[in-house]
Amino acid sequence: MSSTPASSGLAATSKTKGAGLSDRWFSVLLITPAMLITLIFAILPLAQALDVSFRMGDLSRGKIGDYVGLENYRVVFADSTFWQAGWVTLKFTVVAVGLQMLLGVGIAFLLHGATFAKGLTRSLLILPLATSAAVTGLFWRYLYDTQFGVMNWILGSLGLPEPNWLGDYTIALWSVVLFDIWQWTPFVALIALAGLQALPKEPFEAAELDGASRWRILTTLTFPLLKPVLFLVLVLRTIDCVRLYDAVAVLTRGGPGTATETMTFYLYRTGLKLFRMDYASTMAVFFLYVMLVAAVFALTPLLKQFTDRAKEA
Amino acid sequence: MKKSLASASVLALLSSGGAFAQECTDPVQITWSTIAGFYTDAMAGFVKSFEDENCAKVTVVNIDNSQLYNKQVIEMVGQTGAYDVVTLETAEKAEFAENGFILPMTEFFKDQKAIIEDVSPTLRAMTVEYKGDVWGLPYYTYSSGMFVRQDLLDDSTEQAAFVAKYGYDLAAPTTWEQHRDIAEFFTRKQGDMLKGQPLDKDLFGVGLMAGPFPEIQDELSAPLWGMGSDWLNAEGQVPVDDVEKVLNGYLELMKFAPPAALTVTYDGVMNQMKDCQIAMTHGFFLDQWPNAVKTEENCPGAKMAAIEAPMKKAYVGGFLLAVSSSSANPDMAMKFVAHIGGPVIQQQFAEMGGASTLTSVLTNPMFATPEKRTTNGQYATLNQVFSSMAGFSSNLFKTPFGAKIYNTMQIPLQSAASGQITARQAAEQLAADVEKICGGPCPIAN
Repeated sequence: MSSTPASSGLAATSKTKGAGLSDRWFSVLLITPAMLITLIFAILPLAQALDVSFRMGDLSRGKIGDYVGLENYRVVFADSTFWQAGWVTLKFTVVAVGLQMLLGVGIAFLLHGATFAKGLTRSLLILPLATSAAVTGLFWRYLYDTQFGVMNWILGSLGLPEPNWLGDYTIALWSVVLFDIWQWTPFVALIALAGLQALPKEPFEAAELDGASRWRILTTLTFPLLKPVLFLVLVLRTIDCVRLYDAVAVLTRGGPGTATETMTFYLYRTGLKLFRMDYASTMAVFFLYVMLVAAVFALTPLLKQFTDRAKEA
Repeated sequence: MKKSLASASVLALLSSGGAFAQECTDPVQITWSTIAGFYTDAMAGFVKSFEDENCAKVTVVNIDNSQLYNKQVIEMVGQTGAYDVVTLETAEKAEFAENGFILPMTEFFKDQKAIIEDVSPTLRAMTVEYKGDVWGLPYYTYSSGMFVRQDLLDDSTEQAAFVAKYGYDLAAPTTWEQHRDIAEFFTRKQGDMLKGQPLDKDLFGVGLMAGPFPEIQDELSAPLWGMGSDWLNAEGQVPVDDVEKVLNGYLELMKFAPPAALTVTYDGVMNQMKDCQIAMTHGFFLDQWPNAVKTEENCPGAKMAAIEAPMKKAYVGGFLLAVSSSSANPDMAMKFVAHIGGPVIQQQFAEMGGASTLTSVLTNPMFATPEKRTTNGQYATLNQVFSSMAGFSSNLFKTPFGAKIYNTMQIPLQSAASGQITARQAAEQLAADVEKICGGPCPIAN
């Protein structure tokens, strides 16, 4: 590998900064704090969760017990509530993320073309993101209240049916979805807007000169160029939705019955209500495995695209 | 520990000293984990008097009711000593005692039996005793009866209409069938007549706590215990047929409850009552009387009554104060339990409108006066409940898995209430959940 004079100079500088350390050891020194934090707060707990998933672990009995092989995995995989929670999580994620992407991108286009109050609208969009779901969830619980809530007051005033937003098991999950859409669509919109504003102008000017229709510009230029940004938002929102807990905890506590019980909420109930840390750890390990596999599949093309672009640049 | 023993010795020497507070330079530290709300604020004054009398410093940790059990178990398992005095729900006592999380206080109360005997025998069996030992003192009872709009039951127009429809007199229900009839009878639409006047809003026959909180099981305990059954039979299993039967009765009642029944807990039902939306409750916590009686201010002509639940059985329980086995100052902690649960503080607590646990307080004539009706008007009914349920104890409170079962059972029950599954499926699911929690039939202590 050849080094340019500039890089040699940089290396020399870094050696000086590193007080006699080689580049390699200086790099190691720089990443050590981050690695230590990751090790203490992520790797070690994960290792312990993995360990507990193979042992008897009824915490209310005072200790983590003996190794039981794959018994916990057998119990968890045979647990219909676990799979039902998985199904609820999947439904929630697909619908919430889908709608958030559609609405968010739509809002981004509207804002991109707006000629006035753009800054104010952008600021207002940040508001739902600035507060925690635990706080806004309480606020929404009152909005949804069948007797005293604003939603039903408005619907009732218009002579429309007044649904039992959080009490009817057929719609409770969609009420949580609606809340999540309210909170997270602005995130998608803001990122998509930033992506739109960062697009190069030249290809669009050339397309206009060539007489390309708006639809053609949208499908052949805008979306392909925006794809990496949208894909990143899609991945981030999907990960966030899959581990949904706070909105469910505040709005429905998993109810009515188990209609809104997500994987994370069931994991919490198993671990911190029943104190079966063995089952909870098993679920967590399985959950992490699924997420890792999905993330690798999802992120590989994106990372490849970023790498290719960097090389081209 | 040495420090605590030294402090205890000093305490013993000076316990009768009136000028103690002046000599207290190194107070014994104890921490009490308790429920945020539920008159905990009122306890601050009682804590102060304890500190002054005993050279102690009590730190009160207020924890949201939904998190209290988790927090306490975690601290007990870790033996952190973070809490010296813990607050337990009735179903949690056996688990904490069996796992050695709390200390028996039998020896401590050996010379103070009067205090223990002052706790109603029914409440004592449910909350205080386990395997022959005493595990603390309850300081607050949420034992259940029922609240009814007595003015509706007393109205001659309504009485005549009721007899015509059901063939028997309208009165406080003594069976769950009557309770259902009354709930149906008073379920009316806006514009319908009530006591000869048109209703300005819908009226529902009964308020129910079928939300995602551990209260639906408290309600259902009333008809289940009333029919002579229990959540766990002698073999430690859920009697599926009995649970199905009471759940079907409950589902029948859902037709006469506000739609919000599926999202509310006890405070929601009280709001419905005060908003003139419901005619009566199911089995309901009598400590809520000061709240329920406010209906009389909000609803013209309303007259509230606290009565026993049909079949004279309902959920009996209280918040038990117990001493953590990892406490660094168990002697002082036990004194604190005796102080808060004892007659002096309980009397003061009652004067503030609290639901005392002591018979001497509940039967004190000073609380039976018309002036005290709005704060202590439920005491006579509480005494009736304890009397009617004398000798009764639920197996749910005799198994060390009681807390876990209690924290799980609302899920299948609420699933049935919401129509997600049938009563039979819910009862079977409950039985399966309980078997899973206990690893087979649940052990029941004698």
